[in-house]
Amino acid sequence: MGARSTVGRILGSGVTYFILATVFLVTVYPLFWMFSGSLKSTGDFYGNVWGPPTTPQFVNYADAWTIGSLGGKIVNSVLITAGTLIVTVPLATLAAYAIARLRFPGRRFLFYLFLLGIAVPQGVTAIPIFTVALNLGLVNTRLGLVLVLAAQALAMEIFLMQSFFRSLPRELEEAAMVDGCTPLGAFMRVIAPLTKPGIATQVVIVGVGAWNEYFLTSLLIRSQDLQTLPVGLVYFSGRYSTNYPDLFAALSIGALPMLILFVLAQRQFISGLTAGAVKA
Amino acid sequence: MNSDRVVSSPVQAAAGGDRSVEQTRVRAARVRGMHPGRPHLSAHGQVVLSAYIAVLPALALFALFVIIPVFEGLWVSLHRWDGLSPMVWTGLDNYGYVLNDGIFWEAMWHTILFAIVTTVAKNALGLGLAVLLNRPLRGRSFFRTVAFMPVTLAFVMIGILWSWVYNPIFGILDGALDAVGLGSLAQGWLSDPNIALFSIMVVDIWKWTGFHMVVYLAGLQQVPTDVLEAASVDGASGRQRFWFVTLPLLRPVIIFNVLLSIVGGFTTTYDLVYVMTGGGPFHSTEVALTWIVSTTMRFLNVGEGSAMSVVLLVIVGAIGLVEMFLMTRGNSEDEVG
Repeated sequence: MGARSTVGRILGSGVTYFILATVFLVTVYPLFWMFSGSLKSTGDFYGNVWGPPTTPQFVNYADAWTIGSLGGKIVNSVLITAGTLIVTVPLATLAAYAIARLRFPGRRFLFYLFLLGIAVPQGVTAIPIFTVALNLGLVNTRLGLVLVLAAQALAMEIFLMQSFFRSLPRELEEAAMVDGCTPLGAFMRVIAPLTKPGIATQVVIVGVGAWNEYFLTSLLIRSQDLQTLPVGLVYFSGRYSTNYPDLFAALSIGALPMLILFVLAQRQFISGLTAGAVKA
Repeated sequence: MNSDRVVSSPVQAAAGGDRSVEQTRVRAARVRGMHPGRPHLSAHGQVVLSAYIAVLPALALFALFVIIPVFEGLWVSLHRWDGLSPMVWTGLDNYGYVLNDGIFWEAMWHTILFAIVTTVAKNALGLGLAVLLNRPLRGRSFFRTVAFMPVTLAFVMIGILWSWVYNPIFGILDGALDAVGLGSLAQGWLSDPNIALFSIMVVDIWKWTGFHMVVYLAGLQQVPTDVLEAASVDGASGRQRFWFVTLPLLRPVIIFNVLLSIVGGFTTTYDLVYVMTGGGPFHSTEVALTWIVSTTMRFLNVGEGSAMSVVLLVIVGAIGLVEMFLMTRGNSEDEVG
């Protein structure tokens, strides 16, 4: 199925597999190196660069965990990610529904306003965001970070949910309203149960973004006990840059949550993160 | 009176203002406990009110942390400020400094170069791999998963890891070159001002190619086979089919990928550069965002940093507007109207 280009035909299966194998190696080996390095003793690390560890030193993980207080950082990351999702998803879904389905003055204006929000990407307004947060006393607070990250995610999520809502047939709400529902009642009763795939997309995009976020977090969070995992990792690698196996263990701990989640929910991750690219 | 009542509900409109629909509406109003004769919000009024309620929270948050910062940035850029003392009005002076700031324009150049090179590489590789994968292959979805893994990892994590890959003493890159006898090709990947930026680009490409590959693959699989077969029957060669049938059909996907990469090159490079080189050596890897942050946070020149942000915003905004224009041009049927 699909296009058979000249390229595909000329190359034939053998060369194709070779290319794919090379790409596979290039993609996977750095991660393999990271995991195997994390389990090596210092001597093993220098002496045995390529292979797996001679005797796995799980103690490195314990060391990295305690020295870097990685447990606390993970907790913070979970709180921030969950908080951002709790704020973004309802707000974006409701607003997208209104813009996509309800007729009201200012609807076009809002459509373009949020669309402009996508053209103003994260980080470009970072400094002023800091001053606004400062004036509101939200610097160095989890709440402040959650609100900032949620605000950044809104434009994209509203855009995605809008096109999702537009694909639903209008008869659904009309039927509900004939039965006496208010517009928002129709939404809750009829539309909301159908939004699960759209919400799944939002959760993946906003969740991964918030979990991996470094820039705005590093600007807004000042004290160590509030640091999220990415910020904590950078801090750790700066302070303990000479203990390589422990550093690699810290990196591995940083990578594992997202990798495990990804392996468990590949299809949701891939379709969520690439949503909007190809109209299904 | 009924005669001057505006058709105000979708149901009524759909039924052409029919009297029986009107009776349904009256019944519905009664169900809601409202006497239809007494003043109350018309169905349309209810819709409008619901819409405003639905939109308000998102709008408020968006205004607070997206709209206001844009204006705040503009305002601060007209002052001299260190974040603590009172602001001093300086008008457009900061923009003058920015125009003369060699490092800023060097950083902008690096940013543009970064965006262009990584976009071309990621999309060419992604499309090429997608073409290769676009046939029944064993292990295809396994490969897809593996190629997508780096996409889910944080830039800072990947940046730290690759700093070690590039490490001259224990890094696997130099080690690999050594092992195949090409040890003389080893460079100061991150310490040589001439190639450091490109070394960082490689990391961005490593992370994102899988993403573009997946998107292109999905796009390729949506190309209808009957069109291709028809072309084939008409005598088109494989390459002609690809160039004249497949690629035009892929246009929206290509636009999406290319613009996503370009905007990403401008705005997501902070994490990567900060962690790998901090902008050095000698500003050779300085990008717009890292320099803005340095100016603002280290040199405490918030006014000039804000001016730089405005300049960057204008440039990125222009690109984003082009993106919006190109993306909505093909969707005129479902445009708001």
